[in-house]
Amino acid sequence: MVLNYPKKDSMFIFFSELEGVNIIDKDNNTVGIFYDMIIEPIGKYARSKILIVGTGSWQKSYASVEWSHVSEVTQDGIRLDLACSGLSFLPVLDHKSELSLRQDILDQQVVDTNNQNVIRVNDIHMLLADRDLVVAHVDIGLKGIVRRLGFESFIDTVVKLFNKNSDYLYKPRLISWKHIQPLSINPVSMTVKVDVSSKQLLDIPAADLSEIMLELSPKHRLALFKTLDIVTKSQIFSLLDIKEQKSLLEDLGQKESVEILNHLPTDEAVDFLGELPQATVHNVLGLMESKNAKMLSTLLGYSGESAGGLMTTEYIAVHEASTIEETLRIIKEKTLKAETIQNIYIVDQENHLKGSTVLRRLIIADPLDNVMKAALKKTVSIHVDDEVKKIALLMDKYKIYTLPVVDALGVLAGIITIDDIFSRLVTIAWRRARKKKQL
Amino acid sequence: MSKLKDIISSRWRHIVLFLSVMGPGIITANVDNDAGGITTYSVAGAHFGFSLLWSFIPIIVVLIVIQEMASRMAVVTGKGLADLIREEFGVKVTFYSMFVLVLANIGNVMAEFSGIAASADLFGISRPVLVIACALFVWWLVVKGNYKSVEKVFLGACIFYVSYIISGFITKPDWAYITSETLRPQFQFKGAYLIMLIGVIGTTIAPWMQFYQQASVVEKGIKLKEYAYHRLDIIIGAFVVNIVAFFIILVCADTLFKHGVRIETAKDAALALKPLAGEYCYLLFAFGLFNASLFAASILPLSTAYSVCEGMGWELGVNKSFKEAPQFYSLYTSIIIFGAAFVLIPKIPLVKIMLISQVANGILLPFILILMLRLINNKRLMGDFVNSRTYNTIAWLTVITLITLSLFLLLFTFFPQPN
Repeated sequence: MVLNYPKKDSMFIFFSELEGVNIIDKDNNTVGIFYDMIIEPIGKYARSKILIVGTGSWQKSYASVEWSHVSEVTQDGIRLDLACSGLSFLPVLDHKSELSLRQDILDQQVVDTNNQNVIRVNDIHMLLADRDLVVAHVDIGLKGIVRRLGFESFIDTVVKLFNKNSDYLYKPRLISWKHIQPLSINPVSMTVKVDVSSKQLLDIPAADLSEIMLELSPKHRLALFKTLDIVTKSQIFSLLDIKEQKSLLEDLGQKESVEILNHLPTDEAVDFLGELPQATVHNVLGLMESKNAKMLSTLLGYSGESAGGLMTTEYIAVHEASTIEETLRIIKEKTLKAETIQNIYIVDQENHLKGSTVLRRLIIADPLDNVMKAALKKTVSIHVDDEVKKIALLMDKYKIYTLPVVDALGVLAGIITIDDIFSRLVTIAWRRARKKKQL
Repeated sequence: MSKLKDIISSRWRHIVLFLSVMGPGIITANVDNDAGGITTYSVAGAHFGFSLLWSFIPIIVVLIVIQEMASRMAVVTGKGLADLIREEFGVKVTFYSMFVLVLANIGNVMAEFSGIAASADLFGISRPVLVIACALFVWWLVVKGNYKSVEKVFLGACIFYVSYIISGFITKPDWAYITSETLRPQFQFKGAYLIMLIGVIGTTIAPWMQFYQQASVVEKGIKLKEYAYHRLDIIIGAFVVNIVAFFIILVCADTLFKHGVRIETAKDAALALKPLAGEYCYLLFAFGLFNASLFAASILPLSTAYSVCEGMGWELGVNKSFKEAPQFYSLYTSIIIFGAAFVLIPKIPLVKIMLISQVANGILLPFILILMLRLINNKRLMGDFVNSRTYNTIAWLTVITLITLSLFLLLFTFFPQPN
């Protein structure tokens, strides 16, 4: 976002301009200097809540003052309605869960949720409303750095000499506060300090979030991850590569790791577990929900390149005695968890594959009919040991992009969707293309 | 996942764990023996004999302490040194310390290209041809090529240093005398000795190493529980640097100093290997110097650009385009161009450049050390992993010593002693 810098006499003020200004008590004594400010969220913006006064040059000490005691704010000083005796100075600062501008925002990395990248804050742009300071923007441009260095007027003059309409002068890089997600870590919960009113972080698609995470230090990566809900967590987890997945789970600890694995689609979970040593896998499965664990251990028994290794068990199957109405209800129930709801498989008591149908047929059929009435004439299925090439050929031949996978006894074991074999096909095709080139 | 531990027998586990975290310390150590290093040690041996050998005992202790500090910060905070400086001390301190780093590293890159130019002389190739080819190669390697695969070649070629160790035994020096010189600290109140001492310290414990080491540990993702193994990596690395440096000085002292040869060009320095390689000593030395220079030249500009962009909050990384990370590429490219162009000035004294750049490292080191000490003793950042009192004492003593030496050097520069 590009904004013009306001004129000097306006009510905007930069954090750097307040840094070090004198704090004057009600008896006109200077009690210290402006050091920091704790903010509280109000709607999309944040407002000054507590003033931190600093004093001493070698042995520093700090005092907190509620902002309600601030009676006047100018660039020359901040006036309090308290007497000097009302301030208690301590050698350490302690604000664990609250956001402070100097410690959590200024010079730190934050997430710009609008442009979805990680940025470093050079200065903070605030609106002075009466005596309250409202955080309006963060400055991430060169001008912010120059201002902090104390060279602003000098550099501005030099730039003006060369280019009167320079972007540097008139297009500062300010990012609106409402898009800023701080990354500072709450030492109690070990999550990122988030204000409850903003759900900005959750609006970012998981794919982008995982890229943002890669730009962060491991500690912040972990804190940001812990802040998310379990669905986003498992989505992001499945996007990471194996090395990062391992490292993440190691940092998360057992309980959270197992929770994530429980929420992972089975094919993703198998991909991950397949990379771990046998002993570790047994250990992990022992900790997981028994239903999931059982399924995963079966899947892990198949070779990674066979239908059994590639399939997922999140399909929709109904008993052959069900009616259309019941089938549609089951689809609605399972729609969130299932890989696809287009294809519905019909099975008997022992889960033998009896037939299949598609959503379109079910919708137009009579709700009271038996599901077998809506079944397709022919159901193509593959065996758990079939290789990628055969699966691809079948999909191409019948133009069906989801195939049921059965074992030697004809029991439905899972389904394969085209995206499961797509990356393998691309690899094969690419290899072939390269060979041709070499010839 | 604890069962895994029971299955693999414990000794193997230790070895595997060590191998998995090994790297940052040993690689940094080998880059440390760069053109500037080889030259400084050679000159130190040739001009001052065995009288600087004692300095390696304190240097090795300090090197381990400082490298360990950088790594500990990396493991505990997961951030680079420039990141931490920026987040704790703000823009001003970051700007000036980055200025110091860039200054020192431009000097270092010049030294690397001087090394390349010097080896061109020894190989009998024209200087501009080899220097320009290497500058292009370095730029291409990092931006378009695959640095990681070439790193192993560089590391392998570091076996060259063994030739100094072998030479050290071939010449049969007076070991009793060397031992007594190594154990007896001595000091000469002369400008030249002072320059040499600061140079030896500066080249062995360079400012860039702290940034580079911390960044590689962060990148490697070493965790707190693996830290004990990583510490071993640092100690091995420090011993490698110092043993090699010790033998370079020893060999040069025993061959060149004895015969009163003063090192003016790389050719003189190569003579130290004559007892081992005979007529081929020039080629051998040229090969070692060339590898060391090229190795460090591919790391230094990149490491500098990373640190500066990290601290200033600019986009960085070789996977970004020029448009996305203009400051990063400009800085990276201009450091290479500047370093390479400078040594192309005709008749420039290469050995002097290499030496002076290392003295500059020594003078600038305390400023970076002070920042490191303030960071590592910050409880909010480091928790229980702040420095112990012994560590603080050693590090502060180093700071004070280096500043005192630099002040003396300043004094000698303005008031030269009548010799």
